[in-house]
Amino acid sequence: MPVPPDTQPLNRGAVTRRETLRSGVAATLAAARVLAPSLFVGCSLGIPPRAPTVRIGLLHSQTGPLAIGSTSLRDVEVDAVERFNAAGGILGFSIDPRAPDTRSRTDLFPKRATTLLDDGAVALFGCWSSASRKAVLPIVEERDSLLFYPVQYEGNESSRNVIYGGQVPNQQVLPALDWLRSGPGGERKKFFLLGSDYVYPRTTNFIVRKWLAGTGVEIVGEEYFSLDTEDFAPVVARIRERGADCILNTVNGSGNIALFAALAEAGIDPAKVALVSTSVSEDDLRSMPAAHSAGHWVLSSYFQTVDTPANAAWMAGFRSEFGHDRVFGDSMEAAWCLINLWKVAVEQAGSFATEAVRQVFAAGIGFDGPGGRMTIDPATQHATKHFRLGRVRPDRLCDVVVSSDGPLAPDPYPQVAFPGWKCDWTKGGLQPGPEVSIDG
Amino acid sequence: MPFDLSWFYDIPTARAALLMVGAFVAFYWAGAVVVRPFLRIFVRRAPGLNDLIGYILSCFCVFYGLLLGLIAVTAYQNVESAEQNVTREAAALSALYEDVSRYPEPHGQDLRWLIRDYTRYVIKYAWPLQQQGIIPEEGTIRAEAIFDRLLDFEPKTSGEEILHAEALRQINHFLECRRLRLHSVRAGLPRAMWIVMFVGAFFNILLCWMFDTRFLTQLVLGGILAAYLGLMMYLIVDMNQPFRGEVSVSPEAFELLYLRMMED
Repeated sequence: MPVPPDTQPLNRGAVTRRETLRSGVAATLAAARVLAPSLFVGCSLGIPPRAPTVRIGLLHSQTGPLAIGSTSLRDVEVDAVERFNAAGGILGFSIDPRAPDTRSRTDLFPKRATTLLDDGAVALFGCWSSASRKAVLPIVEERDSLLFYPVQYEGNESSRNVIYGGQVPNQQVLPALDWLRSGPGGERKKFFLLGSDYVYPRTTNFIVRKWLAGTGVEIVGEEYFSLDTEDFAPVVARIRERGADCILNTVNGSGNIALFAALAEAGIDPAKVALVSTSVSEDDLRSMPAAHSAGHWVLSSYFQTVDTPANAAWMAGFRSEFGHDRVFGDSMEAAWCLINLWKVAVEQAGSFATEAVRQVFAAGIGFDGPGGRMTIDPATQHATKHFRLGRVRPDRLCDVVVSSDGPLAPDPYPQVAFPGWKCDWTKGGLQPGPEVSIDG
Repeated sequence: MPFDLSWFYDIPTARAALLMVGAFVAFYWAGAVVVRPFLRIFVRRAPGLNDLIGYILSCFCVFYGLLLGLIAVTAYQNVESAEQNVTREAAALSALYEDVSRYPEPHGQDLRWLIRDYTRYVIKYAWPLQQQGIIPEEGTIRAEAIFDRLLDFEPKTSGEEILHAEALRQINHFLECRRLRLHSVRAGLPRAMWIVMFVGAFFNILLCWMFDTRFLTQLVLGGILAAYLGLMMYLIVDMNQPFRGEVSVSPEAFELLYLRMMED
């Protein structure tokens, strides 16, 4: 008699393929459900998330004659970026600094700038000489990007696409001239202008001549030398012969080593003949014997010896990363302030876009740097800077002898030298005056 | 590698191994369900073929096992060779640092700064890039900067001449090791090896599918074999690129050097 299907005995000892499959699938799904959250968090397979990045370009020479000074600027900027990133980046973006080598060649600056901007850099930091800055200027203007320039220069320039962080003559040379003519400065009457043969020394000395005209000061000589000059003995003889009591030195680079040596060998006493250098930093002084440099004068907005907690903290932080024997200079401090100002501007703008950042600069922002507060003047896009005159010590650092009470406002077009020229980016920009010949 | 598995190196070791093993087992089990019924028909029609498959499988496993073993050794040797190059590079840099510390100032100080900067760059920037399979570019600039500055120095005494000659020897050795390190960033097993490995693994699994056994036995025994294959593959993939994954070269040699430089 057939047994009805619902009463047929089940063979519970045998495992069928279907049952195995069913239980296998059920077990797999259950295991997946339990393990998935810990194994594959957010479907990322445990791959740590990477912060979105924004690229910036650092335009510095890392090889060639300008390398040592420029490399220090790169290090300062890299240090700043690392601190930004460690603190969570800017606007949630990690900053990716790219630093190609411009090899101390002016022709490579615009090429590297173009490559960096093509690769998506939102801003450029760097350049060293005026020639390199002027070579990059058309690129940043054409691409409407921003260049942050940290080096003191001659003025007579203002671009919507450059934020100038170094001193111009009215923040550096001109206050020094006034002090040197005063009682505490030795009432100096005979100036000898000595410089390298390029745009900065020639323009600066043009402004100096105009500034000193009618003050009773006599300019007893003005001479220029190529950057690779190593024999300054003849000009030192002429300086002595003409009875100069002050040498305004705008020689740049390694020529200073030879100049200081020539002065020492000629027995020029720094107490009687003041050598006042505009382009010598503590970094350059390392290259000279202490006996050649001690007692001479250096013009700068910042010295390593500036005794403030902010400076001590900055130097300690940098040295803990780059070594305890690192020496600091004016351009390094300017580079540090500029990159921090950029960060402030981006954060206030809520954007990395050039125009948005520029709008923040136009509203006027500042940063408390190691050498004091730096503010960007909205009219000229130049920095307000302290004036400091330092005297070289036997340990090749400088004591600050004279300093301004506070930061001085920038004037890239001193009217005494460039009459009629005005710049105010809040009111229409640059208003050119009559053409001026600096050789005149 | 025949296809891009770069994302694989970003996965933590345990999960990556589990993923690879899981993928092999899942593939085997899926095949056991889908392909095996057809293959089994082929085997059942030929009595004695099951034994033959067992014989072929055991022969195949010997050759394939040897191949995998040799490849694993090669991959490990690549890692070891890269590690030796890194150690040599750091040692040459250390010797160079000692040499230039005897140079007169400012050359000595400049060179010490540059060497420290290079070491710092390697640790902080180059290594993370290498771990992504990217050859770091800016290290070359820093190496050139050291070389440039070294060539700027003109010895004035016989002692300085000897010191300078030794420093030049060290920098050349350092540059050679550096080039070898960069070369090994993208070094790996040739494409042909990967093809043979994966095709071999597939044949192994195919032969297992052909076995006429109970389904559960098929799943368990075949699953174990597939899991081991997956584990071996994981090991080889992980060691394939010396600077990527858990089994990779660390920047420890440079870190120790940098610590010593910073103590100066």
